[in-house]
Amino acid sequence: MSASLTLPKPNQDWFGLNKLRQDEPGFATTGILLALTVPLFLAAASLDDRLHLGINIWDKPAKFAVALSIYLLTLAFFARYVPETFRQKTSYKIFSGSVVFAVISEMVWISGAAAFGTSSHFNTEIPLLAAIYPMMGAFATLLTSASAVYAWQIHRNKNSALPPVIKTALVAGLGLTLPLTLMTAGTMSGMNSHAVGGTGLDSNSIALIGWLRDAGDLRVGHFFATHALHGIPLAGIASYFIFGATRIWSVVVFTALYSAFVIFTFVQALNGQPFI
Amino acid sequence: MEDLFSLSGIPALIGWTALLASPFIPRLSQWIAGVISPALLSLAYAALVLGYWSRASGGFGSLADVQLLFQSPQILLAGWVHYLAFDLFIGAWIVRTARAESLHFGFVLPLLPLTFLFGPAGFLAFTLIRAARGTLQVSR
Repeated sequence: MSASLTLPKPNQDWFGLNKLRQDEPGFATTGILLALTVPLFLAAASLDDRLHLGINIWDKPAKFAVALSIYLLTLAFFARYVPETFRQKTSYKIFSGSVVFAVISEMVWISGAAAFGTSSHFNTEIPLLAAIYPMMGAFATLLTSASAVYAWQIHRNKNSALPPVIKTALVAGLGLTLPLTLMTAGTMSGMNSHAVGGTGLDSNSIALIGWLRDAGDLRVGHFFATHALHGIPLAGIASYFIFGATRIWSVVVFTALYSAFVIFTFVQALNGQPFI
Repeated sequence: MEDLFSLSGIPALIGWTALLASPFIPRLSQWIAGVISPALLSLAYAALVLGYWSRASGGFGSLADVQLLFQSPQILLAGWVHYLAFDLFIGAWIVRTARAESLHFGFVLPLLPLTFLFGPAGFLAFTLIRAARGTLQVSR
């Protein structure tokens, strides 16, 4: 009987997940849920021998689950710097609920297309999927706009208690995510393919991340654009330790360099050159 | 056998309909979907197994054995009734567990057809949702 006393309590806050759920229940719960679906997609990939563009058909749902999970959990983490009064508003709850709905719709769309052995993006052959694609583009824009809303609200928050460099980096990273993603992903959508040149297959690519080695790949720019909300805040933390709490110029310089890098990878892909 | 197959759908459909209406009839729906319908289906299952198990060939030893077992229409029907009974029972458990854990019925609603059609997939989805919400725990 005494052994049961040493067991962890059911509601112990593993990895701070309870804090995330408390600050942004919708984003946190959906983010954790998506992370938990990754083993399911990997299991499907190991049992299903169908290929799409030369790679396993379940690679894409697995990658989207990872990416959207990281995105939502990051926002749930940053939610603590968004004023609580704003997070309590009904208008915000409707907005964040719509973002969750958009994320789940994207996952249902992508994994549904995989289950039926067809493509989700750029599908013009199946009328239903051709009709859904523009709507999914709107959903993708909606879910990405959450980063811009967070940038605006963290900027306005006088009581965040964040050191100036870190606050600036957070606002810059979150603020640039939407415009940089719209530029890269929007162009990709307009061009009806992520590949510029090449064989039309995805099999000659970098392990895990899957960027093409024999063609320009517009997903590279999309990746770095969307990860502005990680890269620039991390640089802010580094700057805090190297230059101190108030040297905002270091964040400004890094932000400019980061944006230039995103544009470089974007132009590189447009010119049909592989990233590496 | 086809008559028994059609007949077995009735308690199942009544049970699932009760679960869809469970926000309005929480206790009655649990009696129907959690006890009465699964018990009736289990009665049919047990009768089929009592009557036909010893006459069927095959067994549980290999996939080929199981396939042989299900070549008996009565055992195949028993297997089908087993699905109906246990999927419904799990559906009722999902509904009452979700209510106990204050999960809004709007999230339970898509889980019900999923459990009805693909039982374990519905159970998995509900388990993952509970894990994500941090309400996954067991009682002794």
